[in-house]
Amino acid sequence: MSSIQGSDIKRVVVACDAGMGSSVLLTSQLKKSLSPHGVTVEHSAVDRIPDGADVVLCQAGLVARAKARVPDTVVVGFQMFLGDPAFARLEQVIRDGDTLAD
Amino acid sequence: MPTDLVLTADAVRLGRVAADRAAAIDQCGALLVELGAVEPGYVTAMHEREASVPTFVGEGVAIPHGTDAGRALVKETALAVVQFPDGVDWDGSTVYVAIGIAASGEEHLGVLSSLAGVLTDPEKAARLRSAATPADVIDLLGPDRSG
Repeated sequence: MSSIQGSDIKRVVVACDAGMGSSVLLTSQLKKSLSPHGVTVEHSAVDRIPDGADVVLCQAGLVARAKARVPDTVVVGFQMFLGDPAFARLEQVIRDGDTLAD
Repeated sequence: MPTDLVLTADAVRLGRVAADRAAAIDQCGALLVELGAVEPGYVTAMHEREASVPTFVGEGVAIPHGTDAGRALVKETALAVVQFPDGVDWDGSTVYVAIGIAASGEEHLGVLSSLAGVLTDPEKAARLRSAATPADVIDLLGPDRSG
């Protein structure tokens, strides 16, 4: 279990297995909502998540692999690419300065 | 900096029929092979990836692609757009457009960024599902002009 304050979230990494499709697509979508808050969004293969990520987003089935790669980082799983509640929650945490935990 | 991928008419196939998800992925994979983008074994990696995490992304669109291990079988970055007007059952969702992805680098980010814009605009998404010519598809997935 990890947690982070919304105000400390500056670097979000979207991870998928290969880092060539799903994560790229979602990164494009999230940049639009998170860039205005001064947060960078990048994509990555789940086994190559960079050190220094503040929050990792990945499909629910990949959470364990992401957590194994970056055990101390908050990893949030999602089910849907469009309109998953996890994205709204992340934006809200960043905007309002709440705590995000996994 | 590699050149950005530009979607061309030979990478767009409209009005296709597929009995199921596996057949649809086979068609996307075969087109990627035909385009010279991947080794035939990449199609197997596409099925493996689909079995672990489905690639349905909403609005009747899926983006089948390989696993991280399958990346070695990619010769050059390419996308293969295949439209199924009758729909294909995709693990409970219905897919009308499957966009096969083979990426060795980041050349396809522009097209996927445009796709992200299409997926968040129901009117554009409907146009993609019902596109009648490759030019319609290329127009929708071309350079993102929305900013």
